[in-house]
Amino acid sequence: MFRFLLRRFIFLLVTYIVATTVVFILPRAIPGNPLAQMLSSLSQVAQANPEAIRAAERTLMKEFGVDKPVLVQYGEFLLKALRGDLGTSISYYPRKVIDLIVPVIPWTLILLLPATLVAWILGNTLGALAAYRRNTWIDKGVLTSSLVVSQIPYYWLGMIFIFLFGVRLGWLPVQGAYSQGTIPSLSWGFFVDALKHYVMPFASIVISTMGGWAIGMRVMVVYELGSDYALFSEYLGMRDKRIFKYAFRNSLLPQITGLALNLGTVLGGALITEIVFNYPGTGFLLFKALTTLDYPMIQGIFVILIASVYLANFIVDFLYAWIDPRIRLGQEE
Amino acid sequence: MKRLFVFLVLALTISLFAQVSVPREETVYIAGCLWGPATTWNLYAPQSTWGTDQFLYIPAFQYDLGRDAWIPLIAETYEFLDDKTLRIYIRPEAKWSDGEPITAEDFVYALELSKKLGIGPGVGWDSYIENVRAIASKVVEFKARTEPLNYFQFLSYSLGAQPMPKHVYSKLEAAGTIKDWINDKPEEQVVSGPYKLYHHDPNIVIYQRIDNWWGKDIFGLPRPKYIAHVIYKDNPSASLAVERGDVDWVGLFIPSVWEMWEKKKLPIGTWYKEKPYFLPDGVGFVYLNNTKPGLSDPAVRKAIAYAIPYEEMLVKAYFGYGSQAHPSMVIDLFEPNKQYINYELAKKAWGTSDGRIPFDLEKAKKILDEAGYKPGKDGIRVGPDGTKLGPYTISVPYGWTDWMMMCEMIAKNLKSIGIDVVTEFPDFSVWADRMTKGTFDLIISWSVGPSFDHPFNIYRFVLDKRLSAPVGEVTWAGDWERYDNDEVVELLDKAVSTLDPEVRKNAYFRIQEIVYRDMPSVPAFYTAHWYEYSTKYWINWPNEENPFWFRPAPWHADTLPTLFSISSKNNPQSVPTWIETTDKGGLGIPTAKVFTDLQSAGK
Repeated sequence: MFRFLLRRFIFLLVTYIVATTVVFILPRAIPGNPLAQMLSSLSQVAQANPEAIRAAERTLMKEFGVDKPVLVQYGEFLLKALRGDLGTSISYYPRKVIDLIVPVIPWTLILLLPATLVAWILGNTLGALAAYRRNTWIDKGVLTSSLVVSQIPYYWLGMIFIFLFGVRLGWLPVQGAYSQGTIPSLSWGFFVDALKHYVMPFASIVISTMGGWAIGMRVMVVYELGSDYALFSEYLGMRDKRIFKYAFRNSLLPQITGLALNLGTVLGGALITEIVFNYPGTGFLLFKALTTLDYPMIQGIFVILIASVYLANFIVDFLYAWIDPRIRLGQEE
Repeated sequence: MKRLFVFLVLALTISLFAQVSVPREETVYIAGCLWGPATTWNLYAPQSTWGTDQFLYIPAFQYDLGRDAWIPLIAETYEFLDDKTLRIYIRPEAKWSDGEPITAEDFVYALELSKKLGIGPGVGWDSYIENVRAIASKVVEFKARTEPLNYFQFLSYSLGAQPMPKHVYSKLEAAGTIKDWINDKPEEQVVSGPYKLYHHDPNIVIYQRIDNWWGKDIFGLPRPKYIAHVIYKDNPSASLAVERGDVDWVGLFIPSVWEMWEKKKLPIGTWYKEKPYFLPDGVGFVYLNNTKPGLSDPAVRKAIAYAIPYEEMLVKAYFGYGSQAHPSMVIDLFEPNKQYINYELAKKAWGTSDGRIPFDLEKAKKILDEAGYKPGKDGIRVGPDGTKLGPYTISVPYGWTDWMMMCEMIAKNLKSIGIDVVTEFPDFSVWADRMTKGTFDLIISWSVGPSFDHPFNIYRFVLDKRLSAPVGEVTWAGDWERYDNDEVVELLDKAVSTLDPEVRKNAYFRIQEIVYRDMPSVPAFYTAHWYEYSTKYWINWPNEENPFWFRPAPWHADTLPTLFSISSKNNPQSVPTWIETTDKGGLGIPTAKVFTDLQSAGK
């Protein structure tokens, strides 16, 4: 068990370094200049003096070390990242990348963790149910609706929601994480307010992602039900419910991996949902960073993202070894 | 157990009342100036958070574009010792929000620090000002540089100077932390303006009025108690909030804005009720790269100027939010600017009544024919020396839909006269890189806007080769098309180093002759000063019928007086008199008076 975990850990470390290197190189491969956005807004300010723009240009080049060789920048980035220092954002200078990411992380987590989990549970239950009642109206209903729903882009669903429940019926607020003018506080009123704002983005994510889970689960259970052990049990005269239980548990393994990967990427936020509902979150921050070529910010978000995907993977590996003895024993041989 | 229950209920009830929010009737909600997290409330940064420059740190004199005048805010008066030396007398009442008096030292310190850091309020001042000195605790003296002598820059840097609290910054300077300072703690903010930070998070930035602001007895207080900027993720979600009446003061591009009041009957307005709806904010140019073969020929550039469908472009792509620019580059929609246009010359050069360039494809073809460009087999013209007119690209950043459409229209018309132009829409930073490095062919981009030193500012931005850089090197300062003309440089220097209005005017007239001859780039249209308001909670917004302030957009650096003049719907108040010029009982000193004082001090 220990050797297995150690091996996983070393593997993780190596892939982490490879991944961070890629994250360092890729944004720099995009043609363009990270200072462009900032200098252009300086240049568009009324009465901007050429002298002021010139001075700012010089100062910024020096400040962000864009004039240093790339290898030196890379070394600095790796060393700092190990110390937990993600650097200073370029477009939101002088704010630290970490200070910008931290306030939005709770919003992203609050929205996406429950949404992912609920979609996973609902989807899997429905999928298993469809497989169990194969070729009945339940199966047909679940399958067709899942196929349709899983193809609906969730931003489109979000916009339909906004139009219907927000604009037309006026039941729910159309944008933001809480009412304009309220200041987040630990109070009952704020909680209710935030909950009202939560319903639509949450529902749009759940509805559009659960279909995929349902289809996957249905296929897997159907496959398991057709396998030798299920047939054998059936011939032994075992009750349907019992066989289904075996099949269900075996089908769950790949779905757990899928869930883990999904939970790992949750920190990346749901960009389009965030934009459509004007909801705070990391997705929007990443989008902004990419469009302005804010290298430190892109790196920072990805480093956190990579770390959380790995952590999720690591936990799943551990869980797997614990749940499924085949894996643990296979590794130890 | 019972105790615990009682405690829980109690805690819940208390927290019920603890919810914090700002009252709607006392708050002006804003959209369109902030599209991402706040940065810093420290002006010694490349980009401070919206509001810092507008409401927190105010200047000595506030420039009034509409009346061409200077309103003394922190300053009380000025005095010229000679035609190179200006003294500014600070109001005795002027105080920082922590109670410390605003002194001459704060002015000197602010500027010296900007010079030292290469960033900050008034950065670049040392190009035009020899030195700044504190003569007495409330008297600052500015001495103009004579090499180069530029009266406009000298005055705008000195009259518009923003003092910074030396007692706060000198401590930070000693610790070496000025550039990293966020200044986001309301209780620690030391400001000169009537607002300071109240709250900020990833969704909103709220400023609160300082009710015992030092200027209360002179200017009154700005009407809203809170100003809150909601951080919208994109334009459509902000526009939706405008429609719903959630925001009151907006600086936003809204497609078909007139439908808001004409069709939907919403209490929303812009500056004009009819076309063009918005005040002009600058000149949009079609920049032509003067270093590219073919485009380097003035005849080709002139032909292009005739082949731009100005009217159609503005109506179809820009919703009519602007009018065709005058080829002289001078923004002639503001009365004080008209004197700088030689209309006779423009009329002669372009054949129209006010001298604007007509859209005339036949004329464009004729110019190309006369210059020896003959259409080839593919319809693309080839010059006498074998230079083929194309393929060129015309580009704007992807997503700038109005300008993208303009590009399509221009490309189509240029093709019809035998110049091969295709559109290209790269990502912003790629586009900006090409623009500033001079590697583009044709682009649509901004220039500068109406200001105290107009049209000097625009001539300089577009034509001054000293702001340029060799192709391949980045320059943001100006002359993106790489126009190279020494005579223009001389004329520019002459225009700003003289106190004789006639000499200045003649220099501008001569520049116009050169511009019409060379057509370095095409001034195409006036960009809009995005400004919308809702009268649901706040009334008395400046507009065409109530024109008391001409830079009313919330994002503009000169917008502060707007907040002193609007009123709550429940409590209508009149526009304060100090906003007017001195001859009408106000405080504003006309620029003409400043120049006469300067001239008489020199004698």
